[in-house]
Amino acid sequence: MMEQDGRILACGVQYLNARPLYEGLGQAPFSDKIRLDLGLPIDVARRIAEDEAHVALMPVAAAATIGDLRFTRGAGIGADGAVRSVALFSDLPLEQLTEISLDLSSRTSVILAKLILKRRGLSPRLVGRAANEAGASIGGTRGALLIGDPALEIEAQAKLKLDLAEAWKEWTGLPFVFAAWCSRPGQVTAEHERMLLDAKERGLLRRDEIADAHAVRTGLSSESLRSYLQNAIRYEFGDVERKGLTRFFDEAARAGLLPKADVRFSDDPAVAVAVPVSLDGLLSRAADGERLSASEGERLLAEARLFDLGLAADAVRKRKHPEGVVTYIVDRNVNYTNVCTTSCRFCAFYRPVGHPEGYVLTRDQLRVKLQEVVDAGGVQILLQGGLNPDLRIEWYEDLFKWMKAEFKLGLHALSPEEIIHISLMEKLSIETVLQRLHAAGLDSVPGGGAEILVDRVRRKIAKTKCTSEEWLGVMRTAHHMGLRSSATMMYGTIDTARDRVNHLIKLRELQDETAGFTAFFCWDFQFEQGTHILPGETGTHLYLRQQALARIMLDNVDHVGASWVTQGPEVGQVALRFGADDFGSVMFEENVVSSAGTTFGMNALAMEERIRAAGFKAARRNVRYDWLTEPS
Amino acid sequence: MSQISFESIQAKVEKGERLDAADGLALFLEPDILKIGQLANMVRERRHGDLTYFNRNMRIEVTNVCVASCLFCSFAKLEADSPGAQTMTLKEAWKELEDRMDDPPGEIHVVNGLHPGLPFSYYEDLLKGFKRIKPDIHLKCFTAVEIHFFAQHYGMTHEEVLLKLRAAGLDSLPGGGAEIFHPEVRARISHDKATGDDWIQVHKIAHRMGMKTNATMLFGHIETFEHRVDHLLRLRALQDETGGLQAFIPLDFHPDGNGMKNLPAPTAIDSLRTLSVSRLMLDNVDHIKAYWVSMTPKVAQVALRMGADDIDGTIVHETIYHAAGSSSPGSLGYDELVRLIREAGRIPVERDTLYNVIREHARSAAPEASVKVKDRKNLALPVVS
Repeated sequence: MMEQDGRILACGVQYLNARPLYEGLGQAPFSDKIRLDLGLPIDVARRIAEDEAHVALMPVAAAATIGDLRFTRGAGIGADGAVRSVALFSDLPLEQLTEISLDLSSRTSVILAKLILKRRGLSPRLVGRAANEAGASIGGTRGALLIGDPALEIEAQAKLKLDLAEAWKEWTGLPFVFAAWCSRPGQVTAEHERMLLDAKERGLLRRDEIADAHAVRTGLSSESLRSYLQNAIRYEFGDVERKGLTRFFDEAARAGLLPKADVRFSDDPAVAVAVPVSLDGLLSRAADGERLSASEGERLLAEARLFDLGLAADAVRKRKHPEGVVTYIVDRNVNYTNVCTTSCRFCAFYRPVGHPEGYVLTRDQLRVKLQEVVDAGGVQILLQGGLNPDLRIEWYEDLFKWMKAEFKLGLHALSPEEIIHISLMEKLSIETVLQRLHAAGLDSVPGGGAEILVDRVRRKIAKTKCTSEEWLGVMRTAHHMGLRSSATMMYGTIDTARDRVNHLIKLRELQDETAGFTAFFCWDFQFEQGTHILPGETGTHLYLRQQALARIMLDNVDHVGASWVTQGPEVGQVALRFGADDFGSVMFEENVVSSAGTTFGMNALAMEERIRAAGFKAARRNVRYDWLTEPS
Repeated sequence: MSQISFESIQAKVEKGERLDAADGLALFLEPDILKIGQLANMVRERRHGDLTYFNRNMRIEVTNVCVASCLFCSFAKLEADSPGAQTMTLKEAWKELEDRMDDPPGEIHVVNGLHPGLPFSYYEDLLKGFKRIKPDIHLKCFTAVEIHFFAQHYGMTHEEVLLKLRAAGLDSLPGGGAEIFHPEVRARISHDKATGDDWIQVHKIAHRMGMKTNATMLFGHIETFEHRVDHLLRLRALQDETGGLQAFIPLDFHPDGNGMKNLPAPTAIDSLRTLSVSRLMLDNVDHIKAYWVSMTPKVAQVALRMGADDIDGTIVHETIYHAAGSSSPGSLGYDELVRLIREAGRIPVERDTLYNVIREHARSAAPEASVKVKDRKNLALPVVS
């Protein structure tokens, strides 16, 4: 990862309060050894998680989530008492609020807010909003958590304000640390860290200049900003701050908001950090449903024995679903078109625009297919297709309305990639597209096309597809509108174990925000003729491990399904004991090649028999996982 | 429901105590197969650590003509002039081996129908011919059911049959034909061939002659869990007496095209459970084999963590299971077997028929670039629910 010129890459946050820490890094002698790059907090955390930077000014919540990181002793962004820029604003006293808008740009602050509300016995509804909307939403029984400039802008006119760092100090008597330089073990040398500290000393001397420049840019008062950097923000990170952060990690872990984490400095004596956590201890924490960090997930994937992992996942499944019921759905996968512009290297299905084998299903073809589903007692259509530029949004709207008028079937349709495609083609926002489709009959969104939510991998296997953030963004929007969705992962191309764990963490974080995912399914890349990449890490054992790990890591997702369609009915059945509580779909096999009609991949009776033989009761479900039959 | 707790069974196994029939039944009734699998895995690792055996073998069925009317068999009561009936000439049978002499197997496994019209010399000559082509080939041929048939049909004792065949080149007996020993079941599914007692008698004689043999159990049809436990205990008693069984192989019943086609095949959970219970009950048998033809390679792979220490061999031309609807491939390449074992986190060990080590592979391979393209035409989008 070393830069070609021998420098390391440090990633800073573009926020005012962080500037004094890295302001000096752009100059000699630091710039000879360290290259500085800036980003938003979420991006900074991602770069360390995905090994794209050596050291970063990391929000502490992200550090706990990644796990096994080292802080640089001596430099952090925190407060010992009021911080001013992280606060709850409202017109009425906190106790009278029914809803609080959360500016989600800082996960650390959101978790701090949750802990403080919980500590006070308050449980208003929490709604994530963009910063400007969050500020505008304040009024009556609605308050807002604001962070950074929006908080500083509003502090003068706000009626009531609860400064979260101040509340923390009152509660614990300790300072709070929001962010600090942080790296994976062995990525930076003592010399690099000394430079970070020297740069900080330089930056602190320039605080007034930094404040004044920011005042010019934002229109905030120069005096107020100077005082903010000089007095409110604390740039120390020593033993007392470590104590404060340790307390924060403990409280957040106890509340299930963050994985259990230690605060370690890179210069801690080796004995203090070398005490290995036993694998058994980690497995029993997993079985107890504790939230695990990414590095703990990686360790389980690499070291845990297959059956230990299975037993832990089975224990998690048992706690979430003590009834011992495994569900399945009777639905049909309909691919409305195979014309697609993305040319994914792992796909054998698509045909480019204009190809003689390209098709779009006609109403008559659809009517036959849908009637067969109704006749078989099916409850839903899973409608997905290629990105076909000939199909406009009106085509989808008409199709959905027609389907809803003619058939009583749920419509689980259009993965994020297709939604984005329509949005780009029609020059409409994602939200508008989803609203129109929802109004036309869309019931829920399938989680396909997630592949691996790490852009390095996506660029390689599906370079024209949406980015991870775009995929997550569609799901976020859908969830906010009340549409539920599933989540998936296709692994086994060029992805590493770390990529797969990071994928799960991204889903978990969005789920913390929206609670909109119903279930998670994973499968490995299905290598076949017509695909253009070779399989990477795949196999039955890996599938079972990966599914079990997902059940353990995704502590906030209700359901995990076993993918018998890709693994085969036999392994699919075994997978039910590896943390799954759903057996997926009775499949009407799509046979695009012959027009011989339909056959069952596995019929409902066979599904139920396999479920029972695995020691569960079987029940049919709908897309929301409600039982449609009495479990038996 | 059984009164015996899983924990008490676990305690016995940990102390190395023998399980009894009631324990065996309780294991079949325990809903949590992960627990059973884990326990069986402990026993397996105690015996073999991570070592997982396979061999380079080939199967030949010289005739599918059969006088027996077994309900589970897709070749039942097949007469020599029926459509689909096939009997190889000796030359054809030998050619199967000759064709593979550039990469020869270490073992030939011959299992046949009970053909009423062939002379006994056919079988002797068959063996002699194989040895002539490759003198060091191991011949694991004829199930106890065939040996018993030869004895009756050609008017010899079991011992005479075995001595003559050994003189012709026979090295060991495969474990087939055991089905379910208990007369309640055997009378219904295969009444007109060797009984359970006959089967055991043939193996006992072979063991006394110094021959090693294997044993099987065909499960998942009309038998009860009690019948399975009984079957395992009969094998355990035989082994206590002779010590001649090398490996036990549970065989899944496959229903296509036979007299029990209305029955469902056992599912993966039942296959795995039966394998694990076998490992736990057969405390005197060294090896438990996950026969991939019967289980499918993927389930066999999982079995390597549930008590199995052997995954059979490369096998070429398996026909019996395939006639009954097995979806497994007909053969697996050497490298594929190694990969299956490695991915299960085990150490692949190529063995000969008698479990002498031919080659112990490294635990993991250097990444290989070559990947075989499978001809699949599953042209649908990845399915997402």
